[in-house]
Amino acid sequence: MTGRTAVLTGMGVVAPNGIGADDFWKATREGRSVLAPIDREGCDRYPVRVAGLVRGFDAASFVEERYLVQTDRFTHFAMAAAGLALDEAGLTVDDPFGIGVVTAAGSGGGAFGQRELQELWSRGPHHVGPYQSIAWFYAASTGQISIRGGFKGPCGVVASDEAGGLDALAHAARAIRRGTEAVVAGAAEAPIAPYSMVCQLGYPGLSTEERPERAYLPFAPDAPGFVPAEGGAMFVVESESAARARGARIRAQLAGHAATFTGAARWAESRAGLAHAVRGALAEARCAPDEIDVVFADALGVPEADRAEALALADALGDHSARVPVTAPKAGVGRAHCGAPVLDVAAAVLALENGLVPPTPNVTTSDLGLDLVTGFARSAELRTALVLSRGLMGSNAALVLRRTP
Amino acid sequence: MTPVLSYDELAVLIKARAGIQVDPMDLERPGASFDEFGIDSLGLLGVVGELENRHGVQIPADAVTHKTPADFVAAVNSAVKAGA
Repeated sequence: MTGRTAVLTGMGVVAPNGIGADDFWKATREGRSVLAPIDREGCDRYPVRVAGLVRGFDAASFVEERYLVQTDRFTHFAMAAAGLALDEAGLTVDDPFGIGVVTAAGSGGGAFGQRELQELWSRGPHHVGPYQSIAWFYAASTGQISIRGGFKGPCGVVASDEAGGLDALAHAARAIRRGTEAVVAGAAEAPIAPYSMVCQLGYPGLSTEERPERAYLPFAPDAPGFVPAEGGAMFVVESESAARARGARIRAQLAGHAATFTGAARWAESRAGLAHAVRGALAEARCAPDEIDVVFADALGVPEADRAEALALADALGDHSARVPVTAPKAGVGRAHCGAPVLDVAAAVLALENGLVPPTPNVTTSDLGLDLVTGFARSAELRTALVLSRGLMGSNAALVLRRTP
Repeated sequence: MTPVLSYDELAVLIKARAGIQVDPMDLERPGASFDEFGIDSLGLLGVVGELENRHGVQIPADAVTHKTPADFVAAVNSAVKAGA
């Protein structure tokens, strides 16, 4: 391989089941489900009753107040996760133009925007603060992480639906290949706020099941849909040679990625789109199908979509699709839009490091011909992981991660 | 006459609207600039909005372009005086 292979050297997680990679991994490997009734003010009277909520998050312990007053909860999550990732990577800013930032977003700063609009309607335009101009916007997290760190390299925001979380990492890998030293990349979302909740209510796949342990059962025959969540993860991506030169701990290699688009909620068609993305990611990674040691599935929890995903794996991996362990830890935390696939990337990195496939919480049966890991984590020699993601609006993406020796 | 906007009040408003803790004595120091405290024009815009609401006056838009607390306080106080 060339010296411009992109690797992950830092990881920060803010998830419903844990803040920081250690707590996140402990809950994930135990298959603990934290799905719970939505008890947040203004969010408790909608048909969607269960979500994955980040609890005990003290934004001020991660981010200076001057940034907190300017930003929504989704940016607080992203800045906290970015800080954790940067601390772990131990990156020093010698050349500010050598470090970029890229995030993916699908929900934006709903709570902040709603608060300001309520001021507008109840007290008038003079009571709307100036930060309304930036806080709700998809680009807010990228901008604030860049400003806080003094990172002046290539910055961007990927708005390509839920699968954009994986696309953001691919975007970062491309920047590395073109010569950027490091990119802070990932996604975090905070859609469990009244306005943001209402925006989601039209999604037919959203679960209205009230019992948390029954609300999100991907790959189960009686799957009632998916559960929303908040949170996400940020990573430090850099070139393998630069990381080795400075003695950084390399956690995994971003070996391959591909993305396709097959139209909103056309789950049967997502089969071909997802299979094409898997083949593209494998080709870029120069990886044979049977080298995939574990699959972190999109796992929408809508029977037609789950069937399409199982068929896509069979199409792209052949016989290996029936043997490779498949898991969906997100069944225990919900789907945090663009944050969902990057939390899967975090789980996949930790799985590779620990030789342990975490289970799919709450799910006990599946008849789709997959070796779905349920109940308890499974020990396995893991070298290569495949992470899949689909968005409700038609994006499909696949990412291959490889453990480095 | 007593100025309407004191450095104490400005420090409180900066903390509330821009999230930056700053000592009023530092704001008042000759030559002090907003830059050195990390206060940008969006932060000042929030302070101006709050002052307008409190005092029921219009403060000229260019108040946020002042680089120093001294100039800003003088501009706000003259606007408040004119509007009173």
